[in-house]
Amino acid sequence: MLWFERQVVDRLMSTHDPRRRAEVMAYVDGTIRELPEHLRAAIGGASLAFGGWFSVVRPRSRGGAADPLVHSLDNSWLPPMRQYVRLFRGLVLFAEQELP
Amino acid sequence: MRSRRAPTALDTEVLVIGSGAGGATTAAKMAAAGRTVMVVEEGPWIDPDAIEPFSLEEMVVKYRHRGPCGTLGAPPIAYAEGRCVGGSTEINSGLWHRLPSYLSEEWRASYRIEHFTEDVLDRYAEDVEQAQAVSLLPSAPPSSSATLERGATKLGWQAVEFPRVFKYDGRGRGVKQTMARTMIPRALEHGATLTADCRVARLLTNGDQVTGALCERRTDDGDAERVVINADHVFVCGGAIQTPALLQRSGIRGQVGSGLKVHPTIKIAARFPSPVDHAGVPMHRITEFAPSLTIGGSVSRKGHIALALSDCAADFTEALEDWERVFVYYAAIRGDAAGRVVAVPGLRAPVVSYRLTDADLSRLARGLIHLGEVLLAAGAIELYPSVIGGRVVRRVDELASWWDVVTRSTANLMTVHLTSTVRMGEDRRRTAANSFGAVWGYRNLRVNDASLLPDAPGVNPQAAIMTIASRNAEHFLAGT
Repeated sequence: MLWFERQVVDRLMSTHDPRRRAEVMAYVDGTIRELPEHLRAAIGGASLAFGGWFSVVRPRSRGGAADPLVHSLDNSWLPPMRQYVRLFRGLVLFAEQELP
Repeated sequence: MRSRRAPTALDTEVLVIGSGAGGATTAAKMAAAGRTVMVVEEGPWIDPDAIEPFSLEEMVVKYRHRGPCGTLGAPPIAYAEGRCVGGSTEINSGLWHRLPSYLSEEWRASYRIEHFTEDVLDRYAEDVEQAQAVSLLPSAPPSSSATLERGATKLGWQAVEFPRVFKYDGRGRGVKQTMARTMIPRALEHGATLTADCRVARLLTNGDQVTGALCERRTDDGDAERVVINADHVFVCGGAIQTPALLQRSGIRGQVGSGLKVHPTIKIAARFPSPVDHAGVPMHRITEFAPSLTIGGSVSRKGHIALALSDCAADFTEALEDWERVFVYYAAIRGDAAGRVVAVPGLRAPVVSYRLTDADLSRLARGLIHLGEVLLAAGAIELYPSVIGGRVVRRVDELASWWDVVTRSTANLMTVHLTSTVRMGEDRRRTAANSFGAVWGYRNLRVNDASLLPDAPGVNPQAAIMTIASRNAEHFLAGT
């Protein structure tokens, strides 16, 4: 996974157990790796673009429980940005609930 | 590591590519008739009892791409395919619904399909149903299924229990009769051979004849071995995505890959006052609006519930903690739209696109509201729609708020039924294969899977796939 993808997955995880976090990260990594090439390329491109954007425009904390980066992605006016975080949230949520 | 040696050569009379509902049925018929049959399957052989159904492990091992993939389009639609011996029958719910006679008649007339009357199809369906132990529940339905029946009764809507390909023991414990449990063993008993972990790169052609297939077989030590399988007859049965992709990779195009049909599906995670039975998939369906709209229940393990709850972007922490009272239901439509499967040179996976029409979006919104109505009537206390920005609904009068929020940028859709990429019939302008699956322009190449269905059936397509595959196999046997 690319740097920004790891950042997003890291912030989406709710568990604090390092071993569990590593398992979830490995699951997401393996699943992203198996995507069709054109979808993986599109997600990779989005990661580079969004990562670049958020390294310039640093998301600010809104005082709520949500991570500022995740909050910014969730509430973006750009549908691809919302779909991007939804994809990773789905993988993280599923893994957190279903990994043995 | 890829082997540089000359490919291993194998010979067979009938080569069946793919081992799902279409391929396994074809192989069993051919082998029982005494033909020399070889089945190749891209995915692995997995003991059907080895992995818990609908678990994460099952997704990793039995699904293509380790889980759902997505179409290109607005909105993208998540879809899933099985990739193991038995294909998608290993991962589906096992619901069984014969092709409705009005649909078969419509398809027969519209696509000029020969020998496609209700009588003919019913005869093959009965044979397959007997072989597959298609049956209703021997006891009361689980609470997740009874919920649908209860809600429909209160609203005066029609709901039915669908039969399933389940065999029950004396204690009422059901085992899904997947292809790995039924048709594949039958084919092997009659002398067929099965090669798993074997991907067909392309078909080998000589003029209007297919001479065999070039494959990559994964060996036990992880190497990829090239194999050429020479065959007198080839049946491609890889499903509605992989079959057209293989044909295109082999230079066979025409109508191949166009006209992809799916059942776009929208969901609600419904919270109830008391715990719901989460074992398996509800077998009741609300057919009041069929075939344009069907309402049913989904797999609802904790992971699936988490996914469904998160789809509407509302805070779902409390509902997830209360997951034993939450279940996921869906509304699926037969849409106007069609998609396309394109094998792009250099890419291993095909590009799949599908663009919903505005009318489809409207149908989905209507389906979502009907689904909400029936769940509230059944006693649900909180509904989370799979629509970004869709409000969490607790009362019937709040459902109208969902009309305007189902848009291309907010709807989270999925499908598990994919059909119609190599349509059958005698109308050559609209089909890629004849009435029995023989690909136009080739003497010995046939398709025998979901790709042949001219349109989405509006219900789980396994019954239609196996019925048509059985019919086509018999036609082949009678003529060769």
